[in-house]
Amino acid sequence: MSSTKWTITLNISRQKGQEPRKFQTFPLEVDPDEYVLDAVERVWAFHDRSLCFRHACHHSTCGACGMLVNGVEKLTCITLIRSVTKNGGILKVEPLRNFPVISDLVVDMGQFYLRMDQAHFAQVAELDESCLPFERQLFATPGGEYERLVDCIECGCCISACPGAHTSSAYLGPAVLAGIQHAYNQSHDSMLLDLADHHDGVWRCHSAFECTAVCPSNVDPAWRIMDLRKKAVVHRLRRAFGRKEAITHE
Amino acid sequence: MNNRSAPAHFWRWFDPRHHQPGTWAFILNRVTALGLTLYLALHLVALSQLAMGPQAYDNFIVLAKTPVIKVGEMLVIAAGLIHGLNGIRIALSSFGIGVRNQKQIFAGLMAVAAIGIFIFAFSIFGGA
Amino acid sequence: MIGESSKPKLREGVWLWLLKIIGGLLVFVVLGIHFVINHLVAPGGLLSYQDVINYYKVPIVPIMEIGFLIFVVSHCFLGLRSILLDLNPSDRFLNWIDGILLVGGIGACIYGAWLIILLTSRGA
Repeated sequence: MSSTKWTITLNISRQKGQEPRKFQTFPLEVDPDEYVLDAVERVWAFHDRSLCFRHACHHSTCGACGMLVNGVEKLTCITLIRSVTKNGGILKVEPLRNFPVISDLVVDMGQFYLRMDQAHFAQVAELDESCLPFERQLFATPGGEYERLVDCIECGCCISACPGAHTSSAYLGPAVLAGIQHAYNQSHDSMLLDLADHHDGVWRCHSAFECTAVCPSNVDPAWRIMDLRKKAVVHRLRRAFGRKEAITHE
Repeated sequence: MNNRSAPAHFWRWFDPRHHQPGTWAFILNRVTALGLTLYLALHLVALSQLAMGPQAYDNFIVLAKTPVIKVGEMLVIAAGLIHGLNGIRIALSSFGIGVRNQKQIFAGLMAVAAIGIFIFAFSIFGGA
Repeated sequence: MIGESSKPKLREGVWLWLLKIIGGLLVFVVLGIHFVINHLVAPGGLLSYQDVINYYKVPIVPIMEIGFLIFVVSHCFLGLRSILLDLNPSDRFLNWIDGILLVGGIGACIYGAWLIILLTSRGA
């Protein structure tokens, strides 16, 4: 940690209950090599104990601290203050878009988690299946039977950035569709394809690619959605032309 | 509308600070689609002049050679090229082709569209 | 509401989407042909009444032009429907939209086909 100190202004979105949202500013002295989450926490600790925000692991594994920083979705525990503002600058922090706000910076992820559950999203996968097919090999010992935690940390940043999710809360959203693609790769359960092959599933995506751009965890939801489209069409054609496959339901 | 409560302001769609080419392509596609729909209607109506016999159609052609109409034609060509080439990009990426190179493909296709527009501009305005 | 089923009315599922995309690709190809023929190959560039009548005498032309019309109108109206779907219409409103688009689309096709047949008959 450097010893330089910056003075910045935090402009935080506040919303309690049914009141309209407003912004509150807090001048703060920060170390630019700290993270945005640290700044928010400092505001809570020393300036306003009524500030609500979500955080847990502070090392990009839990997905709790997703927020809008200067209008862009970020995982605040790994976003350096130096990368989003300058000495004397403003740091605008808002809750994620496209989710109902519970209080200040905390949003309701209930429906999202429910959908991830319906997508049979599994947190752990075998090494080969946990990486994107075009990624370079991350591990030096291929062929061994290893498992790892999958990339998606369910932070919701992709859903916040998605213009499709912006216009319709019925749209499953990039995270859920990416989860379905991932689960389908492992289980080949056609029930999952039926879940995605729906007017509020893969066909609602308009190829904005915002999701992949903001994902802090290398999931590439846009690529997965396109892959899922291909699989859904192939599956339908197979069914239409009579190739009877055993339909497994778990 | 739906459950959005984090500010769901429509103009956020046009904030250039963090929009991917994909979103701009989407907006461009929609705008050109509406323009082309209008053109389709006008085109079908204008062709009714054909039904009214030689004099009516030939008069219409005289009108079509005026500068205002020529500028309109340029816009239609531009909209058609942009919408068509963008549509091909969307069709390709939806079947998994070129998904990871979206930015480059979009830039390349829009360059092709720009070249096409220049060629047509020369042939409509530059030539005789 | 009474009478509404529990499943929402279909927005844009796979078949409509595929129709739109494949229609779009077909339009791109046929438009290229239509444009090249009408403005570069056809004598006089179809800029006089007689040229147009002569053009429609070739048997493949009315068939191609009617086909082109149907592709374009269907792609256009499916696209309009997608744009309107982003405004999140209720099922009832969507029924109205579908009705208007269907009537408008079929109307445009019938009008265009009538025009083409009329021109073809004048050449015969």
